[in-house]
Amino acid sequence: MKQVESLNPKVQECIKKRGFTHLSEAQNKAIPLILHGKHLVLIAPTGTGKTESAMFPVFNGLLSLPAGGGFKALYITPLRALNRDILSRMQWWCGELGLTVGVRHGDTPMGERRKQALSPPDLLITTPETVQALFMGKRLRQHLKQIRYVIVDEVHDLAGSKRGAQLSVALERLHVYAGEFQRIGLSATVGNPDEIARFLCGARPCSVVQVPVAKHLEISVKYVGDDFKHQTEVLSKALKREGSTLVFVNTRVTAEALGHALFEHGDVEVHHGSLSKEVRIDAEERFKRGEIRTLICTSSMELGIDIGRVDHVIQFGSPREVARLVQRVGRAGHQLNTISRGTIFATGFDDLLESLVIAKKAKGNEIEPVVLSKMAADVLANQVAAIAVEYGEIERSAVLEILERTALFSGCETLLTDVCHQMEEHRLIRNDGGRIITTARARRYLSSNLSMIHDERKVPVFDMVSRRTVGTLDESFVVGWVHTGAVFITKGQLWRVLEIADGKLIVEPTKKAQGELPSWEGEQIPVPFNVAREVGVIRRTRKISDYTQGHEGIAFAKAFLSEMDKNRSLIPTDHLITLENSDEGVVCNVCAGHKANEALGRVLSILISARYGTTVGLDLDAYRMLLRLPSSIRAADVRDLLLTLDPTHMSGILRLALKRTALFKWKLVQIAKKFGAIDTDADYEKISIHRLLDFFDNTVVQQEAYRELLSDYMDVETAAAIVALIKEEKIRVELGPHSLIGAGGLLSSRDQIPPPTADHAVIATLKRRLEQDDVVLACMNCRDWKSRTVVSRVPEVPQCPKCGARLIAALKPFDEEQYAMIRKPKKNAEERAIEQRLIKSANIVLSSGKKAVIALSARGVGPENASRILGTQAEGDAFYREILKAERTFIQTHRYWS
Amino acid sequence: MKMEFIEEGPALVIEGEQRMLIVADLHFGIEADLAAHGLHFKSRSERRLERLHKVIDSTKPDELVLLGDVKHSIPSLTWQEYHEMPKILDSLRTRLPLHVFPGNHDVGIERFLHGGESRPKDGAVLDGVGYLHGHMIPSPELAGHLVVIGHHHPLLSLRDEVGCALQSPAYLRAGVDTGDPRKEQSVKSSLPSRVLFMPSFNEIAGYDILQIIKKPFSPLSRLMKKEECEIILADGTYIGPLRALITDETG
Repeated sequence: MKQVESLNPKVQECIKKRGFTHLSEAQNKAIPLILHGKHLVLIAPTGTGKTESAMFPVFNGLLSLPAGGGFKALYITPLRALNRDILSRMQWWCGELGLTVGVRHGDTPMGERRKQALSPPDLLITTPETVQALFMGKRLRQHLKQIRYVIVDEVHDLAGSKRGAQLSVALERLHVYAGEFQRIGLSATVGNPDEIARFLCGARPCSVVQVPVAKHLEISVKYVGDDFKHQTEVLSKALKREGSTLVFVNTRVTAEALGHALFEHGDVEVHHGSLSKEVRIDAEERFKRGEIRTLICTSSMELGIDIGRVDHVIQFGSPREVARLVQRVGRAGHQLNTISRGTIFATGFDDLLESLVIAKKAKGNEIEPVVLSKMAADVLANQVAAIAVEYGEIERSAVLEILERTALFSGCETLLTDVCHQMEEHRLIRNDGGRIITTARARRYLSSNLSMIHDERKVPVFDMVSRRTVGTLDESFVVGWVHTGAVFITKGQLWRVLEIADGKLIVEPTKKAQGELPSWEGEQIPVPFNVAREVGVIRRTRKISDYTQGHEGIAFAKAFLSEMDKNRSLIPTDHLITLENSDEGVVCNVCAGHKANEALGRVLSILISARYGTTVGLDLDAYRMLLRLPSSIRAADVRDLLLTLDPTHMSGILRLALKRTALFKWKLVQIAKKFGAIDTDADYEKISIHRLLDFFDNTVVQQEAYRELLSDYMDVETAAAIVALIKEEKIRVELGPHSLIGAGGLLSSRDQIPPPTADHAVIATLKRRLEQDDVVLACMNCRDWKSRTVVSRVPEVPQCPKCGARLIAALKPFDEEQYAMIRKPKKNAEERAIEQRLIKSANIVLSSGKKAVIALSARGVGPENASRILGTQAEGDAFYREILKAERTFIQTHRYWS
Repeated sequence: MKMEFIEEGPALVIEGEQRMLIVADLHFGIEADLAAHGLHFKSRSERRLERLHKVIDSTKPDELVLLGDVKHSIPSLTWQEYHEMPKILDSLRTRLPLHVFPGNHDVGIERFLHGGESRPKDGAVLDGVGYLHGHMIPSPELAGHLVVIGHHHPLLSLRDEVGCALQSPAYLRAGVDTGDPRKEQSVKSSLPSRVLFMPSFNEIAGYDILQIIKKPFSPLSRLMKKEECEIILADGTYIGPLRALITDETG
């Protein structure tokens, strides 16, 4: 406790009073550094007293400052729930020390806010979004001048997001008022602590204290079978032992299902983001009081909300990421210096291997790095608007100065110029030479855009047939994808859109089996490349026992692999990609993780779509992609594409093709909102959004959509690296029969790649029209047979059933009477001309068969035109393009219009 | 008579005695209305006008027909329109004679027009072809003529088997049911026999053709022979009768 001795006696007294007999490693290391005024990032597992590590020396500092005069310390957390938690802990300390404390976030009542504006508390607990609001009021801005400390809790959670990017600018805006203040970041374990430090402090020197997590962890992996009933039985048994358990699941649906199955226990509750705040707080409280022993939860419980003692953590299904596992298991043994015990329940072959890899990496402290969200143009636009409102008028160079101090926007001068120009396009600011001037709209914009979290409206889906609401879709999904006649999947069923009206989607059930549309409601956590790769290593080496002692797991994995061998299936590994034909299309087994597979799968879809003119559906997970294709395109065709793919072209291919996808439109709308182009509550249904989005071509808005998609949503670089390894023959590509591995997984349905040009859709329409056209076939040999049919039923080589001749004329239905005319024994000049036309028609059919019949069915195409078209020798789409050309000429003439 | 389909408009050139360039639904000033719906863009009038001038450059017409809804705001003029309309119209009339057939959005446009430019709201025949904006019952003068109208902003959506749409401005050519027994004899006999619905020149206006047919919202769209109407893309590609668009659901 010697670190405490240098603190103010009042603080020392409180520490004793609170019953601290010793300090944790985190506290021992961090307190002296903070006392010395160093910026600090403290990285330690949950429950090692991080908050106290930061606050003891901060209290010490606050006591030495004169009373009143504004906020002196900000404590920023990413969640309101955490704010409440921290507040209840701080109230005791501040009460004892004679300091004032307040909380301010979205839920804070007006009265409380006014009080804070009149007499600001010494310590303000708040969220990043509310920090934004502090700059909006004149009086509040004055209160910022005294700030000496800013503590950012769960900084790892913010650093990789646009919320964090926004906060990093806010801290530099604060610097303008308060000068240098001390920055303290509290973080869970990450792979790259120095980046977190840079995020918090920019170029300023920043100390990092790291308490390794591995020695506190004890993780085992248990294979529980792939049958849900059996899984719940195993879980039920596991919950019967002493103590309290947190059960983490990956989706809300699983949370609900488990909660339902374990309902009989009576001491189990469910906790996830779709439940109301009251229900969640109630569950937390009851768990804390020991009234319930088990809480089934999603990532909603990951961050450090205090729920009291947790004896054990069960992760149901693979945790997907090492960081997530460490964070979740870290919730167990929520007291200093105790070991966190966790068990992963693995539910299948992929799941087992993945869990084993992740558990091993967790023990080896190999945690994923946080990727900072650099140069996000929409964040920049949001902050330029905020600064414009804050100052009314400001030199662009002064804004640049603020931005350059952050780690995320250093070197952003060109981007800033582009952003300002674009914002003026949407009348959010005015540029007057080098000055930025606020507009009447900017303040209104800001009050509905304080947050970079995308607040999505849910659009109800109403089934016309059963006359009930069957679910909701994200607004962005509706905007980007849904039009009258569109088919999509929700609740495991196919629906067709009948109408979009009054903010509701009216649908009917449909049976059309193709066309799976994506939904981004998904809580799919991507499996990183390194994890998927190592799963490939286990598949290759089959050294499962290096990873686990669990007999069930080893036995199951061995049995699975030998079953594959027995079927003579190829086992895809880190060195082998296998391609399989299945009923639905081609499966590509690639151990590369979600994001790289997303990039690779899309590139393949685009190339197939371009080459074969067909729409390609794409489903994928971390280990395989299913390309939904017409049965004429086989695995061998996909292999050829993969082998000839140039890795340097992939990014360019994606850019071109992404533009036509729903995903891109969705991103574009989100970003356009941050630029003030679209109000957060704008009603799109009334306007043809399709072409509105073209307004963003070649703008910084479009550029940002690409940047975000290509870096956050998919991983082009890794995908290109894999393709390069294929080129160097370090990864082989082979064809194999449809296998157990190939058939597994694939829960997440994704986007579709439409064919590249409108051409295809137009030609498809033309083909369909011509096929349905009526045609009269008439024998010009015996002149005694005619038959009316539709083009699609005409045989390849039309023949007269009476005389067997192949001299068959193809007439348009309205010319049918001409046939009667030519049978007249005596003909006038006009009739002889008609006869000549019919003979010519028959001659063309004789030489070109059905193809001639098709050409002759086209609008305004007679024998002359048809023989010209057939004379071009064009085949396939080119043939139909010739027909289109002829029709185009025809409708320009007087004959068509009179 | 010869027709040219100008994709860059969409615009139409009809050549008889004269070379007429026809554009419909310019909707200058639409940005104010977009803003009221929460979509904020600077005026695109300049860009739109420039596009029209380019079409004039490339087609070299003798006269220009503005087929209504030249401006956007109703029921009154906006500040934007006061400032922009005179300049827009001047830049056009210095190049060639104008014929303006006022549409439902053209409230107050008279003040910007010169003598002889304004044509009857219920249409007139120019060089053998009937023109009107399309929101009113056509004048008997148009009986028996091909009539070109705006007002409907037809937009074609093509879908392939997976449901991905191509959307393109399109023309709709239809016969007019002059024998509708529900209508009075006097109206029937005075109707035009064929009507061509033009797509809008304004780059963001567009309305699904199937919706126009399902829920007609003008006298001529109610009277057109739906089964026979034919669709042509902005570039003159003949798409054909409606049934070509409806995919086979039973399979």
